[in-house]
Amino acid sequence: MRPTTNDVRNIGISAHIDSGKTTLTERILYYTKRIHAIHDVKGKDGVGATMDSMELERERGITIASAATYCQWMDHEINIIDTPGHVDFTVEVERSLRVLDGAILVLCAVGGVQSQSITVDQQMKRYNIPCIAFINKCDRSGANPTRVINQLNKKLGHSAVAMQLPIGLEMNFQGVVDLVTMKALYFDGENGEAVRMEEIPESLLTAAQEKREELIDTASIFSDELTEAVLEEKDISADILLEAVRTGVLSRKITPVFMGSAYKNKAVQPLLDAVIRLLPCPADMKNEALTMDEGEAPITLSNDPDKPLVALAFKLEDGPYGQLTYIRVYQGTISKGATIVNARTGKKLKVGRVIRMHADQMEDIAAIPAGYIGALFGIDCASGDTFVSPGLNVTMTSMFVPEPVISLAIVPKDNKSQINMSKALGRFTKEDPTFKTYVDEETNETIIEGMGELHLEVYVERMKREYGAEVTTGHPRVAYRETITRKAEFNYTHKKQTGGAGQYGRVAGYIEPIEGNDFVFENRITGGSIPTQYIPACEKGFRQCMIKGPKLEFPVTGVKAVIYDGAAHSVDSSDMAFQAAARGAFLEAYAKAAPVIHEPIMRVVVETPTEFQGAIMGLLNQRRGMIVGSQDEGHMTVVEAQVPLAEMFGFSTVLRSSSQGQAQFTMEFALYKQVPQSISEKIIEEVAARKRNVA
Amino acid sequence: MKLLAEAQRKGTLINLRDRYIHMLKNELIYSHPLRHIGHEGENIIQEGGFGAVLSRAGVGKTAFLVQLALYAMLANKYVLHISLNDPVDKVTLWYKELFNGLGQHYKIEQMNQLLQTILPYRFIMTFRVSSFSIPKLQERLTDLSEQNIFKPEIIIIDGFHFDGTTKDFLMNLRKLALKQSCRIWFSVHTHRHEESDPDGMPVRLSMIEDSFDLIIKLEPTGSIIRVEPIKGMESHDNRQPVYLDASTMLIKE
Repeated sequence: MRPTTNDVRNIGISAHIDSGKTTLTERILYYTKRIHAIHDVKGKDGVGATMDSMELERERGITIASAATYCQWMDHEINIIDTPGHVDFTVEVERSLRVLDGAILVLCAVGGVQSQSITVDQQMKRYNIPCIAFINKCDRSGANPTRVINQLNKKLGHSAVAMQLPIGLEMNFQGVVDLVTMKALYFDGENGEAVRMEEIPESLLTAAQEKREELIDTASIFSDELTEAVLEEKDISADILLEAVRTGVLSRKITPVFMGSAYKNKAVQPLLDAVIRLLPCPADMKNEALTMDEGEAPITLSNDPDKPLVALAFKLEDGPYGQLTYIRVYQGTISKGATIVNARTGKKLKVGRVIRMHADQMEDIAAIPAGYIGALFGIDCASGDTFVSPGLNVTMTSMFVPEPVISLAIVPKDNKSQINMSKALGRFTKEDPTFKTYVDEETNETIIEGMGELHLEVYVERMKREYGAEVTTGHPRVAYRETITRKAEFNYTHKKQTGGAGQYGRVAGYIEPIEGNDFVFENRITGGSIPTQYIPACEKGFRQCMIKGPKLEFPVTGVKAVIYDGAAHSVDSSDMAFQAAARGAFLEAYAKAAPVIHEPIMRVVVETPTEFQGAIMGLLNQRRGMIVGSQDEGHMTVVEAQVPLAEMFGFSTVLRSSSQGQAQFTMEFALYKQVPQSISEKIIEEVAARKRNVA
Repeated sequence: MKLLAEAQRKGTLINLRDRYIHMLKNELIYSHPLRHIGHEGENIIQEGGFGAVLSRAGVGKTAFLVQLALYAMLANKYVLHISLNDPVDKVTLWYKELFNGLGQHYKIEQMNQLLQTILPYRFIMTFRVSSFSIPKLQERLTDLSEQNIFKPEIIIIDGFHFDGTTKDFLMNLRKLALKQSCRIWFSVHTHRHEESDPDGMPVRLSMIEDSFDLIIKLEPTGSIIRVEPIKGMESHDNRQPVYLDASTMLIKE
C-alpha cells in the first residue's frame, strides 16, 4: 500500500563545508538499506560517497549539486536533498530549502557554528523551515557539544535544547544517552548497525537527569499536558514529551539537538527516529501559490492528491537519457502519460517517465502524489518553473535570486569546443539561475557571470569534463555599476527634418538619485504638453539608457527620472522621436548629475586560529577592506570585514599561506558602494584600454 | 582630470556630496541630547578617563552607549566597541537600529549613505567574559595600531562583570587608556534588590567608585527612562533632564 503523506518527510541536510553532511547522508542510506556498502567522501577505495554523483565533486571532496534521494525508515518515506555547503553555491541551497518541509542542521562538534552555518540558518529562516540539529564528529579531539549548543543559542538565536548526552567524548566517544527514554544507546556491529540499549552509566546519571529537566522545562511551554504532568509531578511519558518538542519544532521555537559521529557509525539511527518523530510531514506545512489571473494573489494549496496539479521544478540535471527534472508536487498527482502545463510558457507537455531518484541511480514509478519529491524525463523546462493541470493558472512564489557579481570572458579552443560550450552554457543557465551568460557585442566574447570566483571556476571545469569543451578564460571582471549623486535638470529637443518623415519631441524635467530602487519614472506633465500616448515612449527611452551608462558603459542604477514639461508636433512626433528625445535628455542631464562608479562589496568572514588574527586583519586591510569586528571564539577568532570584490581575487591562496593553511573564509555579496577616486581613475583607464583593443 | 587633481590637492575643490554628508553629520551632532548634561557626549570625560552607565538588566545601557558611540563617530572619532556578551552581528544590529531610529526621529532620508561614511570609525571586538584580559586587549590594540588599521579614541566595554577584584584591573586599564590617549565607557549591571549608597551607587561597587570620573544611572519610570548623572558633573539648575524613550531606546530631552 502506498504510504499516506503523513508518512513522508522531505528533508534537507544543510551545513558548513566539511561538517560531514555527505558522510551523514551516506550512513542514513546505509542504515535504511538503500546502499549495501559505505564509501567515504575521500575514502581510499576511490568510490566516493553515493550522494556525490558528479565526478568533480568526488575529486574535490565537496558536494556541488543537490542530489535527491529517498529511503525508508520505520514505515516512513524520507526524501533527502543533499545540499552544497559552499557559499558560492547558495542558490542550490536556497532552491533545495524551497521544496523541503524540514531540515537537519549538521554542525561540527569541534568547529561549532561556523560562518556558513549562519548563512544556511538565515536561509532556513527565510523559508520558515523547521529544523533539528545534529552535532557530528563527537569522536574528534576538541569535540565539545555543550559549547556548540551554546553557540546555537548565542550566535543563531535558537532555543537549542539537548535531546541526548554523549557517553565519553573524543577518542572515548561510545554512544549517547537518550534524555527522552533515559536509556544509554550503544552502536555495535561492523558498521554500527546494531543498536544496544542499556541503563545509563552511573557516572552520567546526575548529568542526564539535569539535562532532562532542562529539556522538559523548555518543552513544557508548548504543551499544556506536559506542564500539567510536571506540576502534578506525574511520570512523563516519551510520547507527551516528544509531542511537545515537535510542536516547538514546527513553529521554529526550539531546536532539538542530537549528537554523534557519522564517520564512526554512532548515533545516526536515533537521528533518523527524530526525523520521523519531530520534523513535519507535508500536510503540516502551509504552501502558497500565486494566481496569475488575479494579480498574483496568493492562494493556499491543499495537500490533496486528487485536486488539480501544482508542482515545482526545482532542479535540472543532464542525464544519459536527456534532461532530468526534479520536481516537488504540492497539490494533485503527476502521473505517467498525463498532460500538464508549464505555467511560465503556457506550453502543454505530456509526462513520459516518472522516476524516483537515488543519487545517480533511478527507479521507475507510476505517479508522484502531493507532498512527494520525484523526477521526470523528457520535459523541457527551466528550473523554478511551475507545472499545473490544464485550466489552472497559478505559479509557485518566485525564488529569491541574487544578481551576479562577477564575470569572466571565455573563448573556446576549437570549433568542436565551441559547439559543446554552447550546449553546456544552455544547460547550466537552465540549471542555475545565478549563472548567466551573454555575448559581448563589442568584443564578441562569450561572457559568463556568477556569484564568485569558485562558482565560475566550477562551471568552466564542468564544461571541460562533462561536455569536452576546452575553453580559455580571461581575467575575472567585477560587475561595476554607475549611478548619479545629484539632481540635474534637462530640457532636450529631438528634431530631425532631413528628408522623409520628420521627427520631433521635446522633454523637460530632471533626474535625481534614489536609494533602494534601480529606476523610477515619474510623469508630472500637466496640460498635455506631451500627449499621453508618448509617455511610455519617454520611459522606454530612459530605460534604454540605464542598460549601459554613458560614463563607462556599466549598468546605471539608483536613478529617478521626472518629466514635467515638453512639446510635441502634430505630424512629426512619434514613439521613436520621444524615445530619442528621452535618450538625449538623459545624456544631457547625466553629465551634470555627478556620475560615480559603484562596486560590489562582499561580506567576508574569516575563521582563523587566534595567533594569525593580526596578520589576517592586515591582509584584509591591504585589500581596501573595512574590518567590522573580531570575535573571540576560544582558540579561534572570527574576523568579519567588508571588502571590495575586485580585491578578493586570489585571496584564498594568500589566506592559506599566511595562516599555515588553518584559516578559512566565506564571502557573500553585501552592498554596492562608491569606488574611491584613485580606483575610479584606474577603472576608467582600463575601460578605455579595453575599448582601444576592440577598435 | 589634471585640473581636478590639482584643485583637490590645493583644497579648492568642493565636493558637493561630501559637503552634504558633512552638513548632515553636523545637523545630527548639534541635536546631541547629551550636550545638556556635559559638553559633547564623548568629551564629558578626559583622556584616560572612565565613564560608567549603570542600570538594571534590560533598561538600556547598551543602547545608551551605542548612541554615545554613534555621536562620536559622527564627529569623526574612532570608537572601539568591546562586547563581552553579544556576537559581532548583534552589536552591528544595535548600531544599525539606533542609527535608523535617529534618522526617523530627525526625518533624515539618506541615513544609509551617512551610516556607510561613519562605519569606518567603528571597530567591534568581542571576547568571552572568561578570556577578556588587559594583556589580550593590549595585544589586539597593538596588532591594529602597528598595521595602521585602527586607533581608538573611545573604547566602550559592554558586559564587563564588576566585583571586588576589579580595582586592580581598572588601575591597569587606566594605564592602557592613558597610553592610548583614549576614553573608556563601561556598562555596569546592577540588581533590583541591591543595596545602594545615598548617591544611588550599589554598595558592591563603592570600592571602585573612585575609579570612574563620571557615573550615569538609568532609572526607569513608566514608559521613560531617566538619565541621571550621579558622579562627575556639577549640578547646575538650568540643566534640562535627559530621558531615554523606552520604546525606541533613543535619548531625548
